[in-house]
Amino acid sequence: MARVITITSGKGGVGKTTTTANLGTALAMRGARVAVMDADIGLRNLDVVMGLENRIVYDLVDVVEGRARLRQALIKDKRLPELCLLPAAQTRDKDAVSPEQMVYLTNQLRTEFDFVLIDSPAGIEGGFRNAIVGADEVIIVTTPEVSAVRDADRIVGLVEAAEKGTPSLIVNRIKPRLVNRGEMLSVEDVIELLAINLLGIVPDDEAIVTSTNRGEAAVYDQHSLAGRAFLNIARRLNGEEVPFLPLQDQPGVLERFFGIFGRRRT
Amino acid sequence: MGFLGNLFGGGRRDRSASVAKQRLMMVLVDDRYKLTPDMLEQMKIEMAEVLSRYLPHVDSDQIEVTLLRGEANDHLKAEIPLKRGRDE
Repeated sequence: MARVITITSGKGGVGKTTTTANLGTALAMRGARVAVMDADIGLRNLDVVMGLENRIVYDLVDVVEGRARLRQALIKDKRLPELCLLPAAQTRDKDAVSPEQMVYLTNQLRTEFDFVLIDSPAGIEGGFRNAIVGADEVIIVTTPEVSAVRDADRIVGLVEAAEKGTPSLIVNRIKPRLVNRGEMLSVEDVIELLAINLLGIVPDDEAIVTSTNRGEAAVYDQHSLAGRAFLNIARRLNGEEVPFLPLQDQPGVLERFFGIFGRRRT
Repeated sequence: MGFLGNLFGGGRRDRSASVAKQRLMMVLVDDRYKLTPDMLEQMKIEMAEVLSRYLPHVDSDQIEVTLLRGEANDHLKAEIPLKRGRDE
């Protein structure tokens, strides 16, 4: 039975698309049949993050409006044959699709895949509502910043009001050194504020910039801390018990005093 | 904050993470319960008034009200320090 999981956040720019691409890739690496859907109609991005932008012929709106069959619009990943992308339309807006059409579309995908991951647009309007309407579960991505956490709290309320259960949480772009200095909200702070279950912690990692530049998922990079964190989240989605990566690197006494000069640990 | 600040347990200013957490607490109370910081201050003053009928040792400035989030319910927690009243 397929699981339809929407990745959303409220605030833009916190890493929804990166999370969708990496979790989709990680789940497919582990043998699942995965469809990732870009529900950000008009602001298509999941295709470039996954390096599939040159292969798009049809998009989500073409399928919904009957110009293409679902099979024709699904783009196979370059490396993983069991991973497919359903791209958003770039020249339309979020009103091009109705909630009923989204439910119909996700139900079609259910029959062919084990996981359907939906990359939600930012905001709380129609696009967001369309992105969650067909979902079984919702994951909220936030960064440890006041604006992102505040918006995440709004989304928790809206997801619960839409009867999608309590969403789970990914805290993205944690900087352990700043947290240790008391200059960044810790994961514990964020959980206490939002009071939802933690699914994953993703450290801030420059490797995300390079992998996104190349259109390759960070989960392929053995040295990427963020990539490893996403792999762990995928395993947790599969029901495995995986401990959280030790982020709070224990600095020595000198390092604590001269933290900013300390060597970075990986 | 310099490392001397770290050494002697905090400096003149609170760490920004705890400031952020406190501010977020207040904002989330407002967002979810329409309870503005002004109303919260007024609530503290009135709490102090009521309490002072029984305990003459309460100072409204010292009352700290925080929101505790729970899966099913949220809680308001009030911390009310009492001034030592032995001399009175």
